[in-house]
Amino acid sequence: MTELTAFTLAEIASAIRARKTSSVEVTRALLARIETWQPALNAFVRLEGEEALAVAAAADAALASGRSSGALHGVPLAHKDMYYVAGKLAECGSKVRKGFVAPATSTALAHLEKAGTIRLGALHMSEFAYGPTGHNVHLGPARNPWDPTRITGGSSSGSGAAVAARLVYAALGSDTGGSIRLPAHFCGVTGLKPTYGRVSRANAMPLSFSLDSVGPLARTAEDCALIMDEIAGPDPLDATTAQAPPWDALKTEQASNFTIGIPSAFYTDNLDEDVASTFENALSALRELGVKLVSIKLPDQSAINAAALIVLAVEATSAHAPWLRTRADDYGPQVRARLENGLAFSGLEYLEALRWRAPALAEHLAAIGDVDAIIAPVANSAAPTIAETDVGAGAGAELAIQKITRFMRLANYLGLPSLALPAGFSKANLPIGIQLIGRPFGDERLIALGRAFQAATDYHRKIPSNP
Amino acid sequence: MSKEAIETAIQERVALIAAAESVPLAADSGARIARAVAPTLSRLAGVTLAFEIEPSSYVVVACGEIRE
Repeated sequence: MTELTAFTLAEIASAIRARKTSSVEVTRALLARIETWQPALNAFVRLEGEEALAVAAAADAALASGRSSGALHGVPLAHKDMYYVAGKLAECGSKVRKGFVAPATSTALAHLEKAGTIRLGALHMSEFAYGPTGHNVHLGPARNPWDPTRITGGSSSGSGAAVAARLVYAALGSDTGGSIRLPAHFCGVTGLKPTYGRVSRANAMPLSFSLDSVGPLARTAEDCALIMDEIAGPDPLDATTAQAPPWDALKTEQASNFTIGIPSAFYTDNLDEDVASTFENALSALRELGVKLVSIKLPDQSAINAAALIVLAVEATSAHAPWLRTRADDYGPQVRARLENGLAFSGLEYLEALRWRAPALAEHLAAIGDVDAIIAPVANSAAPTIAETDVGAGAGAELAIQKITRFMRLANYLGLPSLALPAGFSKANLPIGIQLIGRPFGDERLIALGRAFQAATDYHRKIPSNP
Repeated sequence: MSKEAIETAIQERVALIAAAESVPLAADSGARIARAVAPTLSRLAGVTLAFEIEPSSYVVVACGEIRE
């Protein structure tokens, strides 16, 4: 690997800014690496290499004449194919939106472009972001850089694979039921699902408007903070961001100032041996850092999962109803089946699930007391194979999906931030992550904890071997 | 209610909603959907809500955490 592609986002942005390297050099290095990896991973759905090189040359010229666009000047990124760019395709991993040209640019991407980033292309995703594994009947599956027979996790499948293989420095994903954190866990990268309402979703593809969060997958917690520096904050185009406080990542804070809660059940039940030992090692690392660890007893998590599933199912079906009426055969079988599941819930049940969020959040906050975050596994195993998770559209598919997303729904339903971090490897050399689930609008404290953890560990620095 | 009775009720409801919404369903979809969602519905059955709670009450609780 060339050294340039191994840099973190913070390092490469600094190197370009200091003119120790150029945006063109960096873009060429990434394009060369993409050429090597793309056949094995299927991480990109579209590559815009020539256009990116032209923009990179302009960025270099601007910097040479003393003009910088922002903190990420000249840094190439790529994002999940659901972030609209005016005049560009945004096909959302689907046949239904094949050929769709976006009429406007998403607020998150507009902020990143304003900060000087360059667009390398668009990344693979589960069809309409409605799948946790990275399977896609229209595009073929995305493949895990650590073992291409295994899943990336989804739905931000290309984002996880591309960041892990060092094809991009960071990528936007979205998280409605784990879609940032699952690829981060399975691919060995860092992913932040921000507090609901912290980042604008305007002109990004919706799945479930009460649960959707826009956030980064990157190589480190610090890199996630750099992306959040640009994209977090109120946006008149997304009313849910109206209360969002200014982003203020804590640069340094003593780890001993933090307290983490360890759930006494549910999140520690039925873990496979590798995940269980990784979880224990992570606790030890945090303890050695001086973080205070306390046991907590959370309310019934199965009820929270059920409420989240009802909200997700009804809202997704509502958004897709016009196409379900006229183009149902254009959906992949599993996505169509899951959308049809949304027809099973009454208006009363949907509203009860939405109304319950306030008392459920209050009960959660009472249960965790003053802790900054709770720690939990992301999934109960490292990446399974693509074949064994190809569960189709039968009645058992929903239960198989719920098994993979078992530890995900709390953060989505209650709108909590959650940071997924690499924390170890399985005996088969597959990455395993942990998640730190924070308090509402406590995203910055998760970043500070993640930075402390990554200063003491090196799992985030591991890079998969070339295919 | 027995599991079978719950699934039968869900199947009937799905058929009605799909017809009302003009969403085409395969003949066996109702049974599949009922089996898929019945556990979810039963897990939430015990939740009771205060009379005054509305969906936006959630925002009040979440924003109570914003620190100056």
